[in-house]
Amino acid sequence: MSEALSSQLSLHVKKEKNQSSFWKRVKKEFPFAIGSTPFIWQLFFFYLPLFFLITSSVIKLSQAGHFETFTLEHFRTIFTPTYFHVIKNSLSLAFFTTSICLIIGFPLAYSIVFHGGRLKSLLLFLLIIPFWTNFILHIYAWFFVLEKHGFINSLLLSTGLISDPIQFLNSYFSIYLMMVYFYLPFMVLPIFSSLERFDHSLLEASLDLGANKRQTLRRILIPVSMNAIKSGIYLVFIPSFGEFVIPELMGGAKDLFIGNVISLFVMDYHTAPIGIAFTVISVVALLLSLIVLQFGLKQVTKLLIGGTSWAKS
Amino acid sequence: MRNICLKNVSKTKNGHVIFDNISLEIPSGEFFALLGPSGCGKTTLLRLIAGLEKVDSGRIFLGNVDITNEPVHKRKINVVFQNYALFPHLSVFDNVAYSLLIQKKAKDEISYKVRKLLKAFHLEEHIFKKPSELSGGQQQRVAIARAIVSEPEVLLLDEPLAALDFKLREKLLIELIDLQDKLLTTFVYVTHDQFEALTVADHMAIMNTGGKVAQIGTPKEIYEFPNSTFVAQFVGNTNIFDGNLVVEDGETKFEVPDLGTFIVSPPHNSTLFSQKEAVMSIRPEKIFISKKPVENFTNTLKGSVSSIVYTGRSTLYEVVLKNRIKVQVFEQNEEHFPQETIDYDDEVYLSWQKENIVLLEG
Repeated sequence: MSEALSSQLSLHVKKEKNQSSFWKRVKKEFPFAIGSTPFIWQLFFFYLPLFFLITSSVIKLSQAGHFETFTLEHFRTIFTPTYFHVIKNSLSLAFFTTSICLIIGFPLAYSIVFHGGRLKSLLLFLLIIPFWTNFILHIYAWFFVLEKHGFINSLLLSTGLISDPIQFLNSYFSIYLMMVYFYLPFMVLPIFSSLERFDHSLLEASLDLGANKRQTLRRILIPVSMNAIKSGIYLVFIPSFGEFVIPELMGGAKDLFIGNVISLFVMDYHTAPIGIAFTVISVVALLLSLIVLQFGLKQVTKLLIGGTSWAKS
Repeated sequence: MRNICLKNVSKTKNGHVIFDNISLEIPSGEFFALLGPSGCGKTTLLRLIAGLEKVDSGRIFLGNVDITNEPVHKRKINVVFQNYALFPHLSVFDNVAYSLLIQKKAKDEISYKVRKLLKAFHLEEHIFKKPSELSGGQQQRVAIARAIVSEPEVLLLDEPLAALDFKLREKLLIELIDLQDKLLTTFVYVTHDQFEALTVADHMAIMNTGGKVAQIGTPKEIYEFPNSTFVAQFVGNTNIFDGNLVVEDGETKFEVPDLGTFIVSPPHNSTLFSQKEAVMSIRPEKIFISKKPVENFTNTLKGSVSSIVYTGRSTLYEVVLKNRIKVQVFEQNEEHFPQETIDYDDEVYLSWQKENIVLLEG
């Protein structure tokens, strides 16, 4: 009985040994295989579409829809100051939205974490609640608040602070109000979770070593949570660069943003290749600005820490 | 050099009373240890001195200066934190230079001081590494260097060696003692480990649960002459006998029910005579164990060996007495081949001198 068991056991061990050596071989000869599942996912849903996007921006199709020739014609069409102005609009929309979100978001996350006390989770919950309803519904709700005879204007009129209703809608004010309203949680959440995990003894150590609260904020708290601040910045910057619903609805389509232009070329003029070429240019512009942003943030961090690079010499 | 003085300090945290009217004086320029069981409030006491927490009532003095309301960053008192609290984004150099940079000292001065200190701490190879690239012992050294580079008046150490292994701990303890000898800064060392406290301290305070100071003295005073059963049992091992004091034929004796009477020296605390219950405490190493009765000892007891624990340097015997009480005895292993070997269930004689007994309140 015990012999049978032991032989069975040894068989089992042998099997396992074989298996492990098999995986070792796989790992050795196809190191890529282990990470292949996410790669395949990325391939089909990211790289392949990107490839199609880029290729379709440089080919010319015949009337019947067949491949005719490679061309840079689509790029040439939109390589004009007008469209650069559009990209500039989008970049500044993304930049200012991100800046306002950061200026509001960091102190907000800070006060929720360090002064929220028992209300901490409730406050965070309140921040997320607006996401429970559809985004478009929000915008329409804000129409009622901001319009000429809306909530704010009637409130101000009734208190006598103003005599004529203020034009809130179709202005940069309403665009940025909605942008910040919608993107603020994306800034607050990563910063919140980073500050939540922040080792308090680091702050105590800094105070103990003679730094006041402002110096501690500058030299310790912000630099140590810089990764979270960065993710907040990217989470706001990237989508708000492509944002076109809010400027379209709240800004009265006075200024064009990249989203509007792409949708014009693709949906209205039925000139998809030009729209795609513009998309490619926008993506390049976004990448370049992200590189600048990354570099800038690195410099800011260095400046905050007040590094001692002189010590190395 | 100024001493630290806490006067009638009280502190309540989350509804729990940590200290109720505690007073303590820590002499200047000394290595002072605060020893107490977990949760006795010793870390809170340290944080109050550092200014990381505020007292509810009472005053804290540094020399003649009342520092009770001085904010933490203004106090020339630095802390070595239990988890080191090294700044993860800064190099070893920048960590140590932190307080000097805050004080806006000249670059040359910072560079000179930091490098000198890191060299003394054997860290010069790691000067531009991040704390996460260092071993536990090295991180510990960086934490100490960071705290002393600005030459504080007092250095507070909160269980600084708790995370290190035994050998390294012993080594760092010696280094700390040398460091204190050199700097002559007041060191306040908080620990729950009696070995560490006894090793480093010039003077030490034993804290009891509930934030009371049980005894203050030199390590030797505390170990040899504890003033309460709590101190006797918390610092080192001891054998406790409950009984009462009597005077027979002009000699002071201690009567233990079901066991017998023992000759003792008259206690310093004469109120023990009037009390019904008293305690006789004797340290395990002060008892002599042998298989044959020995002469010249004031007291002798018989018992049988119930357990033997060999620890290399010494052997711990547990001996059951006739009233079923167990007594611990340490014997140095002085020879490879001892003259008599004591084994389980052997009948043994336990003997001790009356001077080695400590009499305490029951």
